[in-house]
Amino acid sequence: MDAITTSVIEVAGLAKRFGTVTALENINISIRQGEFVAIMGPSGSGKTTLLNILSCLDTPTEGKYILDGIDSSSLTEQQRTVIRREKIGLVFQQFHLIPYLTALENIMLAQHYHSMPLKDEAMAALSRVGLDQRWNHLPSQLSGGEQQRVCIARALINEPAIVLADEPTGNLDERNEDLVMDLLKQLNREGRTIVLITHNPDLGLLTDRIIRLSHGHLEDVLP
Amino acid sequence: MAAIESARALRARMFLRLLYRALTVRNGQVVVAVISIMVGAAVVSALASLYLDISAKMSQEMRTFGANFFIGPAPTAASRGIDLATYRQLVGDLPPEKLVGETPLLYGLVRLDLGNAVLVGVDFAGLRKIAPYWQVDGKWIGVDFDDRSCMVGRRLAETMELKPGSTVTVISEDRSRQTRLQVKAVIDTGDSEDEQMFVTLGLAQRLLDLPGRIDVATLSIVAQGGEADHIAARINEHFPGIVAKPIRKISESDGQILDKIEGLMALVAATILVITTLCVNATLTAMVARRAPEIGLQKALGAADRAIVGQFLSETAVICLVGAGLGLILGFGLAQILGQAVFSAWVTFRPAVLPLTTGLSLLAALAAAAVPIRRAVRIVPARVLKGE
Repeated sequence: MDAITTSVIEVAGLAKRFGTVTALENINISIRQGEFVAIMGPSGSGKTTLLNILSCLDTPTEGKYILDGIDSSSLTEQQRTVIRREKIGLVFQQFHLIPYLTALENIMLAQHYHSMPLKDEAMAALSRVGLDQRWNHLPSQLSGGEQQRVCIARALINEPAIVLADEPTGNLDERNEDLVMDLLKQLNREGRTIVLITHNPDLGLLTDRIIRLSHGHLEDVLP
Repeated sequence: MAAIESARALRARMFLRLLYRALTVRNGQVVVAVISIMVGAAVVSALASLYLDISAKMSQEMRTFGANFFIGPAPTAASRGIDLATYRQLVGDLPPEKLVGETPLLYGLVRLDLGNAVLVGVDFAGLRKIAPYWQVDGKWIGVDFDDRSCMVGRRLAETMELKPGSTVTVISEDRSRQTRLQVKAVIDTGDSEDEQMFVTLGLAQRLLDLPGRIDVATLSIVAQGGEADHIAARINEHFPGIVAKPIRKISESDGQILDKIEGLMALVAATILVITTLCVNATLTAMVARRAPEIGLQKALGAADRAIVGQFLSETAVICLVGAGLGLILGFGLAQILGQAVFSAWVTFRPAVLPLTTGLSLLAALAAAAVPIRRAVRIVPARVLKGE
């Protein structure tokens, strides 16, 4: 009981089925405030399905998912939209920046849906990821690494309870991979809770804990 | 309160920035949608301009098909026909803009070289206006004081062996008066006029010994709906010895043709609007499909359904207003071309065209946007963000 109240993420007996296909079965995870956790597993292990549930983009078929004290497993779509807006920062493998908005405007868009778009705060977030000089560039004018850093700045702008990063270095070269991982580690050192989805064992070693999935089941938790 | 207003202003500014960028960057599909609306609005605006102008213009045009108003003596009148001065006074009382043409008519029997004929005294200037469809071989009599010329109906000319340039002696029935006339033209109307001889009213009055008299008169009046009846009632009230009445058959067919043409124009406009709606629908559907990842991202970032609906409705409204604006200008030009081609007249700008065209364009655009917006709202972020 104590663990539930101190955890940012508490998953108990969670299952997800698509018709007759079971994507996740009996998943139990607890992630504490300020942890840096990697969820790993091969393709088809259920990583993305789990991430969708953790980010409130999907709902579990069974079990409980408590995010920052809120039972998110039985919310309506509208309520899950609010939870995403208030508590979750998302970092995507394909960056997903709006192509016709500048780097700054992409960050301000997250503020727009959350509360109000403030240019100074958005500039500070860009500065935090080292891109304050590139604020007026469109995504097509930025490198992959720069786009991912804009994506991280956008994920952080509304001070979310957790940052969920889905293969954030999957489309980057080694140098940019290091840059992004350094940034995530630094954010974690500052107290951010970060959940990293990856199939790269080297990246997993950079986190506090690895949760390994296999065929939709929790295989083990390291250390 | 100031903070709330400031937040609203900031959000509004961001919304406008989103709108502007969405419409101006990678705007090929936006241009297609604007052109679709513009073409639809142009046709609607052109037809609406004509429609609003058509009653007046068409009535004017229809007046080339013959007289539509008759004036004759009251059945109780003591003497033959109508006094010409009274008739002139009656015509003078009619609104000049409504009167296309008129002619008094005086009939009588005369003897020609080879037999008898019906002589008709007319006002040639007025007759020409109300009977422009007459087939004339030769020249119209141009002036009312031309007492040396006549126009002869085709069948009478055949019987009397007359042709343009021939001369004919016209003798009154009691043989007390006679004159020699040159045939200026042979006319073909396909009606009773083909057996008559036409001379100026003054000459007919002298030959028939009926000075200052006419038998009847026919007029061509631009009148819509019950206007002809009102004019007739007014004449009958003010001129007791005279009976005025619309020639019902012609007046009614005017109305029927107008109704049919207006119905046809409404059908064309409706068809164009449907085609425009389908075009815009296809374009917006393609836009939503292309922007699915963007919509999915916005939802993932916490955009409510109403924010997505608001954004696409606003984009549609802007596309529609730009298209309708351009269409109005284009449509007014098109109306002028149609006006010149069909009615040989410029079409007057009618302010009612503005709200009508804009309203119908908005209606078409919103109908076109309904399904694409529904699809946008139904986008599942988890799927599109994974590229499914």
